[in-house]
Amino acid sequence: MSKSEQIQLATLWFLSARAMAVAGEDMPTVQEAATGLYAQAILGFSEEVCLEAKDAGHISNKTLIDCLSGVQQLPKEMAEKILTGVMMISYADRKMKPLEVRWASMLASAINMTPDDFQRCCVNARVIASMLRPQGSAA
Amino acid sequence: MSNKETNFQFLERFDSRVAELARQAEKYVHTDPDSCMFKLRLMVETMAKKLTSLQMRGDISQDLGAMLGALERSGTVPRRHADCMHAIRRDGNAAVHGSPTPVPTAMRRLREAYKISGWFCKVVKRGSKITLTDFHPPAPPVPLDTTTETLHLRIDELEESIEQRRSATRESLLMFGPQEKIEEVSRRIIEELQALDNVAAAAGEPVIDADFVALVMAMDLEQIEEDPRHGGDSRQARREAEQQLDSIKQHLAEREKAFLVERTFLLEQRNTL
Repeated sequence: MSKSEQIQLATLWFLSARAMAVAGEDMPTVQEAATGLYAQAILGFSEEVCLEAKDAGHISNKTLIDCLSGVQQLPKEMAEKILTGVMMISYADRKMKPLEVRWASMLASAINMTPDDFQRCCVNARVIASMLRPQGSAA
Repeated sequence: MSNKETNFQFLERFDSRVAELARQAEKYVHTDPDSCMFKLRLMVETMAKKLTSLQMRGDISQDLGAMLGALERSGTVPRRHADCMHAIRRDGNAAVHGSPTPVPTAMRRLREAYKISGWFCKVVKRGSKITLTDFHPPAPPVPLDTTTETLHLRIDELEESIEQRRSATRESLLMFGPQEKIEEVSRRIIEELQALDNVAAAAGEPVIDADFVALVMAMDLEQIEEDPRHGGDSRQARREAEQQLDSIKQHLAEREKAFLVERTFLLEQRNTL
């Protein structure tokens, strides 16, 4: 994958993740840091790509519709990883608000995910969220 | 600034222990920078303990890193100050474990401690009006020779470059870019989400089963992993994710070690100059 494709993909990730975090109303620091950690550890982006993806030139003119459209065009495996990460963000505070459910639903619909696949993503997200939750923080 | 003056006089009426540690750090900055770092670390630890007792409920670990993390997550300590406090903790720990502290590094942390102190006073006594004047670096007991001055300049440049690399690492991990106005971006996203929600509801689009989502969140992790439908995948996911997370954490730890090696190497140049 070329660097510009990686940046485009990372931009999609950060947009999807922040939509979920904002939909959850509170945004604890753990969610913030988990976003970048997931981007680098699971999605495999470099620090540089993560920084560039959040540059105004890449992210500020993108809407959530652009995000859904971008996710729709991704290979299934990558799209599932993005959805898993988004669900991880949602699980970080162990609460789900209506807009969070709606955003998850929209992403799942955009990538034509079956209920079984969605359940698998939820379980994986839950596993990863439990690993990222820092010691001493509320469950 | 003469040797008898201090930048931290204002701290005395807010917390005499913290003020004392700050003054001691200031006193040692040129003559014994390692001790300066010990004192600064202790100062930050004292501040963190006071802040957790004042602002937080429940059991908070007494480990400084954990305390700072909890204070940051709760929003008690702003990100900028937390970064400075972590830097003091890190360099204090390095000094304790035998990594020599250069004078410019100790001076940099002292300056940061000064900024944090002003903010700390406002938190421990709400409504306090503190106007920090410029920090006056303590003067060395004897004027520096040209060689030492040059070395200090190089160390300071290295410190600056380390700070920038650390900052890039940190920024890369966060959800929003440093130039973004989080409230404005969040408001825009919420508006978009609400509009999409209205459209989806009007179109009768099925919503993902919220009951199922609630169920997954309520179930114990072990139960989920034991579920034959998910068992293999979950364990595999955990193994893979743990490996990937470990590799990133190891990478970050190795970079911190490399920073210390660079700094120590530069400090040792003094002997060869």
